[in-house]
Amino acid sequence: MATVKVHDKYKWKWYQKFYFISITSGMLVTLKYFLKCAILRQQATVQYPEEQRGYSSRFRGRHRLKRDEKGRERCTACFCCMWVCPAKCIHIEAALVPPEKANLYPEDKYAKVFNVDHLRCIFCGLCEEACPKGAIYLDGDIPKPFDNRDDFLSTKDTMLDKEGGPIIGTRL
Amino acid sequence: MVNITVDGQEYSVDEKKNLIDALKDVGIHVPTFCYHPKLKVAGLCRLCLIEIEGVPKLQAGCATPVKEGMKILVSSEKIIKAREAMMEFQLINHPLDCPVCDKAGECKLQDYSFSTGQASTRYKEAKRFISQEVVGDNLLINHNRCILCLRCVRFSKEILNEESLERTQRGNNTVIACVKPGENALISHNYQGALSDICPVGALLNKNMLFKSRVWWYEKTQTICHGCSTLCKVTANVKNNEVYRYMPPENKEKDGYFICDKGRFSAPDFSKNRLYHFMINGKKKKSTETYAELYERFKKSGKVLIIGGTTESNEDLQKISEAVKLFEKNNKNTVWEFKTEDYMYKGDWNSQIDFLLTSDVRPNSKKAKEIAGDNGADKNSLKKAVKDADIIFVINELSAPFSYKTEDESALAENMVFQFLEENKGWDKTVLLTTHNNTAAKKANIAWPIQSFVEKDGTYTDKTNTEKKSAKSVKPPEGLKNSGELFEAFIETLSQKEAIA
Repeated sequence: MATVKVHDKYKWKWYQKFYFISITSGMLVTLKYFLKCAILRQQATVQYPEEQRGYSSRFRGRHRLKRDEKGRERCTACFCCMWVCPAKCIHIEAALVPPEKANLYPEDKYAKVFNVDHLRCIFCGLCEEACPKGAIYLDGDIPKPFDNRDDFLSTKDTMLDKEGGPIIGTRL
Repeated sequence: MVNITVDGQEYSVDEKKNLIDALKDVGIHVPTFCYHPKLKVAGLCRLCLIEIEGVPKLQAGCATPVKEGMKILVSSEKIIKAREAMMEFQLINHPLDCPVCDKAGECKLQDYSFSTGQASTRYKEAKRFISQEVVGDNLLINHNRCILCLRCVRFSKEILNEESLERTQRGNNTVIACVKPGENALISHNYQGALSDICPVGALLNKNMLFKSRVWWYEKTQTICHGCSTLCKVTANVKNNEVYRYMPPENKEKDGYFICDKGRFSAPDFSKNRLYHFMINGKKKKSTETYAELYERFKKSGKVLIIGGTTESNEDLQKISEAVKLFEKNNKNTVWEFKTEDYMYKGDWNSQIDFLLTSDVRPNSKKAKEIAGDNGADKNSLKKAVKDADIIFVINELSAPFSYKTEDESALAENMVFQFLEENKGWDKTVLLTTHNNTAAKKANIAWPIQSFVEKDGTYTDKTNTEKKSAKSVKPPEGLKNSGELFEAFIETLSQKEAIA
């Protein structure tokens, strides 16, 4: 078998071999924070756990089920997330919306049962991508440890948002 | 055969066929909604528009007769634009709720919207909304999704000769309504599944399958239906090793376009409340224990009665008949009575209930009749035989869906064999070969689990004496035998103990 060389080792320039530029740029960062803390009295750390830093908008936490602007559940039990889930952690049971509850759901099909097993979930975010209705997002809190297996099973009661809002769309 | 030119290519097609079908034969697909090979041409959807040389306007392909030397265009720019416009029309009031709709995946509107439609619509007005209605005891209509192809109306009229569905009102307000005479009368015929199947969109849906599954989850097996002696060829839709429903076969032109509801929806019964272990008096036992127990009885007995066999495949029947011959050889008075229901005693074998379903609701009674032999005895002789027999083998006669539905086990008690066994205290001497863990299995002295119809390959003989092959669509648990193999295993035990020669 012939070997195809796809990458040549980077040849360092003579001035790069002194590491002078790299060390200086690194020290500048240190100097910046030193000046911030020492002169401007700005702290670089937070008082965890009383104080917590926000996560990036791309952070994938626990699942939240969304409601639309009118406060109706967005999920229509299309089973797309259940089908795409590589860990098979989502369990949905669909049902016909009873006429007296028709104002609570946008369509005539709703998820009677919507469970996510967090012991199985790998937080890959494919359910979020597959959802055609923007109903499920992994924008909840971080997955916490529990001392009980049952607590890892998120049901609709715990996942469903109380208030609705506009569709989030793709998270960047 | 005539020669026609399609898009500049010459083809030789069958002039007796409709243009759509004739073009399909040579591999040209013309999209249609309202056209169905078994129904009269209506020309409503206008999606099959074609350009004919010498005709200034576009013509509906389904309503165009095939003529020698005809020159047509089916994929010119003009046609593609016309189809796009027609798709836009069809989708004006369609809610596009594919995630919710059960038809998604086998929906023609979905397919053609992707292949021939546009990505967006120019329609800005509010779509009409009419709430869902129940029109049959197993049928729902969603007016919003309907594209008014009238396939359902024509199917009821032309195939079923029943005026139950009709289009009412006019123009934009047109809806399909149930017009069956009588107050709140619902459609109750045996083809509600076929109606929802023939609907090219998700307007007509079956209540019992509503939201149970999605189409793309099914694995498909080409097999035959167990429902009656017609043995229609069907496609079994399997999910999680469970048959959800039967659908019409892949090769519709050869094997038929429609199947009835009785067959379509009864397959799930094969996977509910199953018996997977051997039992003695309702208690779980090993197979060898039941053989030993039966051997003790068999030694003492003189008369053996075998009831049923009309549900088993030709191969199994052959094995059972060999067992019967062996019993007789060893001085056991063996009677095989395959008739188990009233209609069988009336000799009502082949009368058609409708154009598919026969009165004979067992898949293989023709072969059973041939092998077991019809002695012309009446019901009383069976009653007497049950009383006199020392061992009674009941082959798959008290299991679903043949004698009852799994939702309604009380119907089992109305079965003739069940009643005879009850009346004559026959349970103590009964060996029940069954697929279901029901009251009968618990009452019987010995219960043997067997493979159900969908779990085995087999040959069956239909009402016209044609042999049809059924394919294994569901994987049975390892070691589960069918009735023929069980008889073989029992005989092997007997011969080991030198009870028979």
